[in-house]
Amino acid sequence: MEPNQNKPDLDLESDDTDLVPRRRFLNLAGAGLLTIGFGSLAEGFVGAVSEPLNQQVESLIFQPQKLVPELPIAAIEPDKLIINSFRGTPPIDLASYRLIIDGAVDNPLSLSMSDVQKLPFTSMVIRHVCVEGWAAIVQWGGVRLRDLIAIAKPSTQAKYVYFYSADGYYESWDLDSVMHPQTLMAYQKNSQPLEAANGAPLRLASPVKLGYKLSKWVTRIELTSELGEKQGYWEDLGYEWYAGL
Amino acid sequence: MRSPIQSPSTKVFHWVSLVSLFLMITSGLQIYNANPVFGGREGLHLPAILGLGGWLAGGRHWHFATMWIFVLNLLWYGVYVLLTRHWQHRYVSGKDVKALLVGQNLKRKNYAWHRLVYTLLIPMLLLSIFTGIGMYKPAQFYWIVDSFGGWEALRITHFMAVPITLILAGLHSQLGRKVGGDRLLDSMFWD
Repeated sequence: MEPNQNKPDLDLESDDTDLVPRRRFLNLAGAGLLTIGFGSLAEGFVGAVSEPLNQQVESLIFQPQKLVPELPIAAIEPDKLIINSFRGTPPIDLASYRLIIDGAVDNPLSLSMSDVQKLPFTSMVIRHVCVEGWAAIVQWGGVRLRDLIAIAKPSTQAKYVYFYSADGYYESWDLDSVMHPQTLMAYQKNSQPLEAANGAPLRLASPVKLGYKLSKWVTRIELTSELGEKQGYWEDLGYEWYAGL
Repeated sequence: MRSPIQSPSTKVFHWVSLVSLFLMITSGLQIYNANPVFGGREGLHLPAILGLGGWLAGGRHWHFATMWIFVLNLLWYGVYVLLTRHWQHRYVSGKDVKALLVGQNLKRKNYAWHRLVYTLLIPMLLLSIFTGIGMYKPAQFYWIVDSFGGWEALRITHFMAVPITLILAGLHSQLGRKVGGDRLLDSMFWD
């Protein structure tokens, strides 16, 4: 009897002729689905392990005074800026609106919009990037946040900045990113006065942070020396805090 | 017939590549579904069951954790291939191209296809990393975004690398099987 030289496998079933052997496919598919299932349950743990490293790296590559290249006016994409709000637009009475700046400052402020608009005006055309994956090139005009904070005279203890909005949204940033020259409190968008749905009267605008950190309808800015347990609406649900671009 | 033997380094690289690529693609799908590349919110969503992470934050956790393993694995293996000079004889060469163009030996041609396909996987993976870094840090690495002509092109490239890689990987396993049977496959995974 001749040895069978054409079938090195000892497997006598039809696996050899299948394009993808049935059992192998089922094994792989099953393993894959189980990995996805259990892996999804473990996402919080995976984040807890990896986010400190990622935060170190992104704060390391962040250059506090280096300008992010701006874009030409012709590149503005007005239809691409999707309006995302976790609760809809809050009603704000512009006449009684005040921007409070307090916390670790020597000179706490309560500014009306006309106070804010007396400060030097800065305009920039930058890319707004949402954590969902879309981006939009937009022109923002307003006052540099670092100019506002300078007037409030931050204490040397100040390291973080909390932002409170009229709709209950809250955020917190590292001081370096707040003091970046392109971080604005904006009241103009695409050459028009900022609209209510986009955050009027004042919203954060900056090319160095993801969209969810750019609070709309800001009513209070509080400087602190420490980050509290609550660090931001989305952060408290699991999104990363630094969120640098 | 003698069994093929892969070096332990090659086997480790291959295993880690396969697992980390699976995690990158499935977590990437989770992220993708938050705002599909083609058509946005009204666009084509991919089956949710294939998404690793449960929701966008979870997908991001997996994606930005696994990326370290994925990249470092390619890096160490790249150094290994350079130092051992595996690149000189284990990857596609001019001789393979010649065999494909003018060769008459069918087995030689199949072997050439096999080497070509698995070599092509490497630049595809590197492209995914390059575009991924551009999407992760578009302000600090603005030049990556600019080199693609903008955000949309970058995003489309990063996404399209996935079906292309999957097709290449499918061809890769079929060619491996064709060239060396299950014995060749076993040599890469087990033994």
